Amino acid sequence: MSSYFLFLYDDPTGWTKLSPEEMQKALEKYVGWSQKATSAGFLRGSHRLAEDAGRVIRGAKVTDGPYSETKEILGGYFLIAADSYDQAVQRSLDHPHLEYGGTIEIRAVHPMHEQK
Amino acid sequence: MTGSGTGSGPEVAQVSGSVEHLFRHESGRIVSYLTRLLGPEHMDLAEEVVQEALLNALQSWSYSGIPTNPAAWLLQVARNSALDAIRHRRVATDKEPALVAELTSASRAPRPDDVIRDANLRDDELRMIFMCCHPVLSPEASIALSLKTVGGFSVREIASAFLADEATIAQRLVRAKRQIRDKGLSLELPSGFDLRKRLDSVLDVLYLMFNEGYDAHQGEELTRQDLCLEALRLAQLVAVSSMGAPRVDALVALIALQAARLPARTDGLGDLVLLDQQDRSKWDKHLIRLGFYYLDRSIAGKDVSPFHVEAAIAATHTRAATMEDTDWALVLSLYDQLLQLKPSPVVALNRSVAIARVHGAQAALEALDPLEGELALKSYYLLPAVRGQFLAELGRQEPALEDFRRALALSCNTPERRFLERKIAQLEQPTPYRT
Repeated sequence: MSSYFLFLYDDPTGWTKLSPEEMQKALEKYVGWSQKATSAGFLRGSHRLAEDAGRVIRGAKVTDGPYSETKEILGGYFLIAADSYDQAVQRSLDHPHLEYGGTIEIRAVHPMHEQK
Repeated sequence: MTGSGTGSGPEVAQVSGSVEHLFRHESGRIVSYLTRLLGPEHMDLAEEVVQEALLNALQSWSYSGIPTNPAAWLLQVARNSALDAIRHRRVATDKEPALVAELTSASRAPRPDDVIRDANLRDDELRMIFMCCHPVLSPEASIALSLKTVGGFSVREIASAFLADEATIAQRLVRAKRQIRDKGLSLELPSGFDLRKRLDSVLDVLYLMFNEGYDAHQGEELTRQDLCLEALRLAQLVAVSSMGAPRVDALVALIALQAARLPARTDGLGDLVLLDQQDRSKWDKHLIRLGFYYLDRSIAGKDVSPFHVEAAIAATHTRAATMEDTDWALVLSLYDQLLQLKPSPVVALNRSVAIARVHGAQAALEALDPLEGELALKSYYLLPAVRGQFLAELGRQEPALEDFRRALALSCNTPERRFLERKIAQLEQPTPYRT
């Protein structure tokens, strides 16, 4: 089993069009996915990231974070267990983030850093 | 959506920690609370701040799960963002120091006395309903405004329930809010006789809201159910408050007993199922219990309102195990009483159905005669539809067909249209095996 990061990107302004009831429906789907992943035993962690741009340090120069060209920003991540990219993709395909128009970037943790 | 391949969790898991309509209801309570603090002229800001809080919750809880006290979390975040808005945008300048004090003292420590907090929020919500239903606003404006502010519905949802376009509803809301500002309406409750009058206008609006959802001729079925249940929730809120009165209990009973039939009213294909064909086991037992509980409460006192009589009619239908078991003589006498209290052609039309059951279709047909010229029923499809039914029962096929076709030409929703088309098809080809 290796660890995979799922980085969730989306355009946060898209959510402002939802009604309270629709927001709750969305929330239930997200939380439902996490609960399912937890009971299936492959969810290892998750965090929401602050909405600011962050900081970037290059050499000794500190700047405000990377403004991407698109409106999509990195909103948070999940860390999951999987045997392969294939399985990681399989386990992410039913994530509601995709249904709501977001993007998921999957990155494997380097095998050297995996604890047995 | 397909499964993830691991297969150990249920496909659609029950999301623990989630409370039905939490966002919608908390939104209404917090908007009411902030509107009291900021003043009705800043209702828009209150709504904006609450929307932000919900969005924040959605984005955080998606990763961390739902907290143990989500309502307190939302209130806290909304308070902070209201505070932010006051400091940065300098709204409500005259009240600013007091506001900041209230909002910060409230945010310093989540109070242990949640019961008091809840009671206060309920009180704010109640005041908001009473303001939204102020008689200077039109009933349509009151319904839309109550749904938007206290109900937590979006403009799109209100529009889809009324089959109006969003711009019309948005315009109606803007106008209502402007009237509130211009006329200086406040969240203070009136006293004495004025309070009684205001309560009546609140009840009328809630009754209309329910009917809008229940027999709306158009709109999406699901949204309309939400509308009915929201009217029920608000009526209950008034009933258990200090504004409670027997006629409020009667309204709650009436709404609950009628709403109980919603699940049986359409079949799997979305087609209309009339009372006599409904699968009564589908009636919502929880709502029936609630309805009878409030019906009992409503009998306290000597007040007999039209709501009492309508609730009694609904209760008579609910008590009957089958259509045949219905005590139609009682229903008819209740309609007689209702017609005295509330003389309306629609009541008279409904009464004719009870006449048909007690005295037969011919008597019922005669009871419809005086309604012919009624302006209020001129474009109401139920008048020709009901008469067509009576004529069909009397075996007068041709005039019955004519009436059903007339009904079809008037405005009605798709299930009602299909229902009429089925009736016409049956009369055109009366094959015994197709009822």
